[in-house]
Amino acid sequence: MLDPRVWLLWALTVLVTASSARNPLYGAILLLVAMVVGATCATEDRQRAPLSPLHFGMIAIPLSALFNGLTVHFGDTRLFTLPDWLPLLGGAVTLEAIIFGAVNGLTLTVIFSSFSIFNAVTPVRDLIKLTPRAFHEAGVVLSIALTFVPQTARSLRSIREAQAVRGHRVRGLRDWLPIVIPLLTSGLERSMGLAEAMVARGYGAVSDRGQPLRRQALLALGLLVLLTGWLMVLFRPSRQLIAAGVMALGTLLIGIVVWLTGRSVSHTVYRARRWSHRDTVTLVGCILTLAVSVTQREALYYSPYPRLTAPSFNPLVGLGLLGLIPPALIEMISDRDDPGMSKERTLA
Amino acid sequence: MTVRRLIGGAIYALTAAIGVLAFIYPFFAPAASQAAGVYAHSQDAPLLTAALVALSVVALLIELQGQAINAKTVAILGVLVAVTSVLRFLEVAFPMPGGFSPIFAPIIISGYVFGGRFGYLMGTFTLLTSALITGGVGPWLPYQMFTAGWAGLTAGWLKNISGLKGHGASHHKSLELGAWDLGVLSFFGFLWGLLYGIIVNVYFWPFAAGPASQSWAPGIGLRETLGRYAVFYAVTSLTWDLFRAAGNVFLILVLGVPMAKTLTRFRQRFNFQVRSHA
Repeated sequence: MLDPRVWLLWALTVLVTASSARNPLYGAILLLVAMVVGATCATEDRQRAPLSPLHFGMIAIPLSALFNGLTVHFGDTRLFTLPDWLPLLGGAVTLEAIIFGAVNGLTLTVIFSSFSIFNAVTPVRDLIKLTPRAFHEAGVVLSIALTFVPQTARSLRSIREAQAVRGHRVRGLRDWLPIVIPLLTSGLERSMGLAEAMVARGYGAVSDRGQPLRRQALLALGLLVLLTGWLMVLFRPSRQLIAAGVMALGTLLIGIVVWLTGRSVSHTVYRARRWSHRDTVTLVGCILTLAVSVTQREALYYSPYPRLTAPSFNPLVGLGLLGLIPPALIEMISDRDDPGMSKERTLA
Repeated sequence: MTVRRLIGGAIYALTAAIGVLAFIYPFFAPAASQAAGVYAHSQDAPLLTAALVALSVVALLIELQGQAINAKTVAILGVLVAVTSVLRFLEVAFPMPGGFSPIFAPIIISGYVFGGRFGYLMGTFTLLTSALITGGVGPWLPYQMFTAGWAGLTAGWLKNISGLKGHGASHHKSLELGAWDLGVLSFFGFLWGLLYGIIVNVYFWPFAAGPASQSWAPGIGLRETLGRYAVFYAVTSLTWDLFRAAGNVFLILVLGVPMAKTLTRFRQRFNFQVRSHA
């Protein structure tokens, strides 16, 4: 199993690359890679998303092609013309507009697939562990919320059953009131007990300290510098480099505040997860693909307008996109070396 | 204390300005740079704006949790987020009409009762938690968190500006919502029902293909841009968002009074203090 940080990087790499790759050939490669990774890594029933990437694509791509084809009347290859009296739809329906819509749908499908896989293979507990130390309180709130979700769902079921015994039937939205208010009250009662337990264990002794004034001022300064850089990007296009530098400085100042805040929070790990060579291989693959998506932007882009042309294909760029395949290869190799492991995982 | 409040106010204003500018960035993008690299811009801008919105959320989170979140706030926030997330799970399991969502009314009412800071945290964490449990983590999440957070934050401010006779000002008084208060809150819910769609749409609209009268183009000017966006919004999203806005009004009218009463009662119970003997 890969480190959740590596999975996050993998999903972000797909996002960045798919946003750049409007060439449908590269888009198809990315989708195939995502489907292979999904099929090999997210095999358990509980990991399956309600809507698989393939089903999503079968809906998103034709819909996007249809919408764009009917509403964008631009392009040289006219297929047919809709009467002008039809609002929005009236005008020429072109092959280029349909293809452009389909490519947009493909990009959306690739992004959806990558995050579906990320959601499926990364346990929620591991996601919480990714929370930086600076957001200690936020992490605690998130942990409590996620812990209470199953309890709240059980309470909801119990309250519905109890109200049903009393003859209450949910026919409309208004009928939810006798269910929602007891649900809220029981949840708040639980939070009362939890707060008392937390105070008794000394939680407030640490958390009641406010943020130092200097750190707060540094955060405000970082935001001000970031905003200044952002305004320079918008209104001083001739000074893009300086603007980028100012924005980077603002981001750095905010980063320093995050680091300083995190430093004051002690953090212990019961059983630290070890970085493995599998993580390294996946990391290197992601860096390779990111390098390709940053340096080969021209090659990755494609526009069918004004006249449809065949998209170009550079095998080296295509090969670079295969840097996202290592999670699938690693899973296949580990299954072959130790087939009992996957069975144990399924049973667990 | 005044300096701290001033800096805190500046942080709110700056994060709001960065977030709003990130959304409306393409409207101001200079025509010259657009003409030079419109394709490159259309690829970079969504990622850049997502990063800026995420930075805004991070900065405001640091500021808000830096104001000493105690165990009671953490516990009540966690549980309320869980309850609201379960409501969103219901929304995913049983699709509601249009953009109707049961999560905004609890966020607004909680922000109103417990204050803007609590409302912001409630909004961002509800969207984050529900995204985690429904598998909805994606590049759209920072935008959703930003918008829902600001809905909760402004709900807290509403108490100060709507002339609610100070009912909610004291921790020891019950927050009885009258007809006027309920009307103001309902209008606020209606407004945020539409604003949520308007703000989140702007994120992708400048980069989406569409008819010329509804699409953004480089260098068309702010007025023309707003006009085109208004047409785009009216054609593609208004009906959808009206269900959300009307749903918020309905839920606030139905849930507002009992929910505010319950939350106020618990706010008073949560008012216990632990003092050391030293």
